[in-house]
Amino acid sequence: MQPDQATVTLEEAGPDRATVVSVDNLTKRFNVPGGEEKFVVLDAISLKVHEGSFAAIVGPSGCGKSTLLNIISGIETHDPSDGGSVTVHPRAGEGGEPRIGYVFQSARLLNWLTVEGNLQFALEAQQIPRNVWGERVSKYLEMVGLGGQEKNYPLNLSGGMQQRVAIARALAIEPDILLMDEPFSHLDEITARKMRFDLMDILARAKTTILFVTHDLGEAVFLSDHIYMMSTKPARIFKRVDVDVPRPRKPEDPQIFDMEKELVREFFSVLDQNAIAEG
Amino acid sequence: MKDLVLFKPGFLPGLITVIVAIVLWQLVSLLFLPVFLPGPLILLDRVIEVYGQSETYLVVWQTVSRIFQGLVLSMLIGTAIGLMMGLRRDLEAFLDSWIMVLLTFPAICWAFLAVLWFGLSEIAPLLTVLLIVFPFVSMNVWEGTKAVEKALIDMAHVYRANRALVIRKVIIPQLMPYLFSALRIALSLSWKIVLVGEAFGVASGVGQRLVFWFEDTRVDMMLAWGISFMVIMTLIDLLIFRLWEKRTFVWRHKFAT
Repeated sequence: MQPDQATVTLEEAGPDRATVVSVDNLTKRFNVPGGEEKFVVLDAISLKVHEGSFAAIVGPSGCGKSTLLNIISGIETHDPSDGGSVTVHPRAGEGGEPRIGYVFQSARLLNWLTVEGNLQFALEAQQIPRNVWGERVSKYLEMVGLGGQEKNYPLNLSGGMQQRVAIARALAIEPDILLMDEPFSHLDEITARKMRFDLMDILARAKTTILFVTHDLGEAVFLSDHIYMMSTKPARIFKRVDVDVPRPRKPEDPQIFDMEKELVREFFSVLDQNAIAEG
Repeated sequence: MKDLVLFKPGFLPGLITVIVAIVLWQLVSLLFLPVFLPGPLILLDRVIEVYGQSETYLVVWQTVSRIFQGLVLSMLIGTAIGLMMGLRRDLEAFLDSWIMVLLTFPAICWAFLAVLWFGLSEIAPLLTVLLIVFPFVSMNVWEGTKAVEKALIDMAHVYRANRALVIRKVIIPQLMPYLFSALRIALSLSWKIVLVGEAFGVASGVGQRLVFWFEDTRVDMMLAWGISFMVIMTLIDLLIFRLWEKRTFVWRHKFAT
């Protein structure tokens, strides 16, 4: 079990930039059917994502990372009596609801709409004025490498290209926060590598704030500025790591390899401790 | 035999069945008077006679427009109620039993009741079609709402799509296969109901022609009207509805133009 001081260091802010997402001591319980006790999905999770930064949450499958994203995005509700809170701050100067982009594990496109139509759906949903649609659509399709595919239908595209459309859809609304839930886990490794590489490039241009969830430490180190490491049972964040490797990064950079190795070691020691503590 | 591959499988057996049926029909008809059981050749002759008169087109149009009105009304009301049942649990429990009652109520009773209540007005056949057809449409749409992918609804909610947008761009497109099958069931039901309604009620249209020739005991003329109208309805189904369906689902396999 991690001592309580750990949470204090976790909350310590990075650079002096506006906070986009703050999660404070968030706890989520599920009712176990027929049982008195509740299953704890998230156990006092705290994290902050700063404007323009790339934060990753890394943890084993079933540690509740997707649940956390779903609460932040509003897909899942959070019962305040469980404790803690989630806040997404809209951009300075812009009132109202924050704009949230979400790239899921699968593309979740509306297959009956063209590629362009899928981007327009998000723009319409966000009540972005029609006169900028054309510009947004071509800008972000171009950015994800799908310029010229406006009139094509998603089912004509490969899995990787469909995911690019989903990324363009999320970017088109120019979100305050872009949530990504293992977006490359359904792709083959070669496509996934290319996508990761391109994502870095896209983000450098789009200047988006990102919260990325993955179980792949290598992916997390390669992409992120900050990594939150999460364990199961208890579903807690036990460490926050800053990745100081300068950008642009190369996947074969030895610094990235070394860091990955170190984090893997740390992960196993924590998971083992938890297993022992549990008996 | 090789060039037969040009046809769809099942084409040849189908063709043989039709030819055998026509030959048998011709043979049996030789035993009866044409006004009692006309053969295919005599029938063809009568059909040409019927469609040689310009008045026929007016009669057919009257019936087709009634069918069209009934169809549109049933689809709209049926879809709205089906959607309500699918999207609201409280309404589902309430409407479910009403739909069941309507589905079990004998169709012929509606035809009689509509005439008694509304007399020989245009409302009678329209109401009959509506009451019989819309429950089928509702059932289909309700079934369809259960197959709607929740993952896509969640996606729409993250982007804060309002209810109208979700229904228009996320739910209705997923219901299209169910709406098309509802439309085709609705057509096949409603044209038969309209004929019955016309026979009992409004005394015009193809239904009235059938009654006229029935009273004259002219089976040949009844069949000429009945079978030709059946062909018209089948053509509407094949040439309009199926092509429309094909166009709607172009996203499944084709590039847009």
